[in-house]
Amino acid sequence: MVIDAHAHLAWRAEGGDWEERDRALIDAADRLGIDRLCCSILTPARPSDPDGFRQANDWVADGMARYPDHVLGYCYVNPGHGREALAEIRHRIEDDGFIGVKLYNEYRCHEPVVWPVVELCIELGVPILHHAGHSHYYVEAQPRMSDGGMIAELANRYPEAMIICGHIGGGGDWEWTIEALRHAPTAFLDTSGSVIDEGMIEMAVDVLGADRLLFACDMSMTAGVGKIRGARISDDDRRKILGGNMERILARRGEAR
Amino acid sequence: MIVDMSAYLGHWPFRRLRHNTADGLLALMDRAGIDMACTSSAGAIFYKNSQAGNEELAEQIAPHRDRLIPFAVINPTYADWEHDLAVCADELGARGLRLYPNYHNYSLADACCNELIAAAADRDLVVSIPVRQIDQRQRHWLIEVPDVALHDLAALVARHPGARFVFLNGLNFVSSPLGSADDDLPDNYAIGISRLSAVMQAEIKQLLETLGTDRVVFATGMPFKYPEPALLKVEVLDAAEEEKQAILAGNALRLLGMDAD
Repeated sequence: MVIDAHAHLAWRAEGGDWEERDRALIDAADRLGIDRLCCSILTPARPSDPDGFRQANDWVADGMARYPDHVLGYCYVNPGHGREALAEIRHRIEDDGFIGVKLYNEYRCHEPVVWPVVELCIELGVPILHHAGHSHYYVEAQPRMSDGGMIAELANRYPEAMIICGHIGGGGDWEWTIEALRHAPTAFLDTSGSVIDEGMIEMAVDVLGADRLLFACDMSMTAGVGKIRGARISDDDRRKILGGNMERILARRGEAR
Repeated sequence: MIVDMSAYLGHWPFRRLRHNTADGLLALMDRAGIDMACTSSAGAIFYKNSQAGNEELAEQIAPHRDRLIPFAVINPTYADWEHDLAVCADELGARGLRLYPNYHNYSLADACCNELIAAAADRDLVVSIPVRQIDQRQRHWLIEVPDVALHDLAALVARHPGARFVFLNGLNFVSSPLGSADDDLPDNYAIGISRLSAVMQAEIKQLLETLGTDRVVFATGMPFKYPEPALLKVEVLDAAEEEKQAILAGNALRLLGMDAD
């Protein structure tokens, strides 16, 4: 089983081509041998409000119904809307079969406002995929972007949580990110992003171990698959990264019940 | 056969490259099934005197000229680049150039650049221009080098209809005059696939349709990048087998004047 741990369905703007774009994603997955896509939809305007993230999650639920053999759903929320965000997560996980929570850049992941979301995800036994990146300059468009160091701090505060640091290849200095995650043994790292620097996956395996890596594309499809194909790692490690580790994460939901 | 239009040897100041010796690169090529690669010096991008990097490259690949095709990094703002060009073409066997206007602090519209392009055309050298060398988000704290603008490349090809260009490591050509079927630009340029999409937006397929099968070339960016994603793009491309063969080797060999070799 090959599971893309970081994917997105399209925001359904009126008159837009979302249906075609979603179909293209499914088609790409089929051509590249990806069995499952763990998808969220982000609101185009952020920080999102409850109406916005509920709308996004409605469309993810619809995508799961349209493509039941492919799409697994992440529930996207803005943790700043505490009560509404927690209610939305519980509803989507318990009623709609979503597999986890997606957090973006409304808050840095280690800020206290995020903690109730983490505690609920521990209770529900689901992962949190967190947008992250570390560049050596101020990213003006994302003043509250998290990085691997913040993910590590959060994971060490909640070692029973399943925190996934997003896109090693989409967030700046990937060597920094790998180093920053070294001492957070419960944190995962997804391999997505358009950057395909040679040696990236090998370093992540060497420093973090293959058990902590999750194959993903974040819509950079051939980059995502190609870097795993190109990495000089064992077949056993490749299998874990491509799907085995994510299957273990998904199985923990059953253990939490 | 597979010919890579975008490979490098040597050091990059901000990240350790693996497989960056001739033997290392050849091992990487063997692993990926790549037969030949147009190779330039990564160090020459940062050396003040790029020619030193070209000389290092020539020494390294001398025993492997059947597989590693030298491309010279020439900086037209540096003293006596004309001599460097002549040495690279006549003595070191360069089949093409790599230009880095934004690393070497000149504009593609500058007179010195136009003189270089004209000289390259006179010598029948392919002029390759990477739109970027690395992803901007992972740049070092000491330097910021913007991408080469596609509209500047479009103006360049129009100014030099007798020259031959390859544009590497770029994307969104379909949104620029370079990727438009309606534009009246000369057909003197090809586009490397390393950052182009093969699925979803499918930019490679769009370029095959707008520019023609002979204008898209295989390019990896190794050893900065894994070569496998570029191979995968061709593998899953919605195109006929002969189109894939043209991308993988035929177009490059014709550009290099090696199709009859």
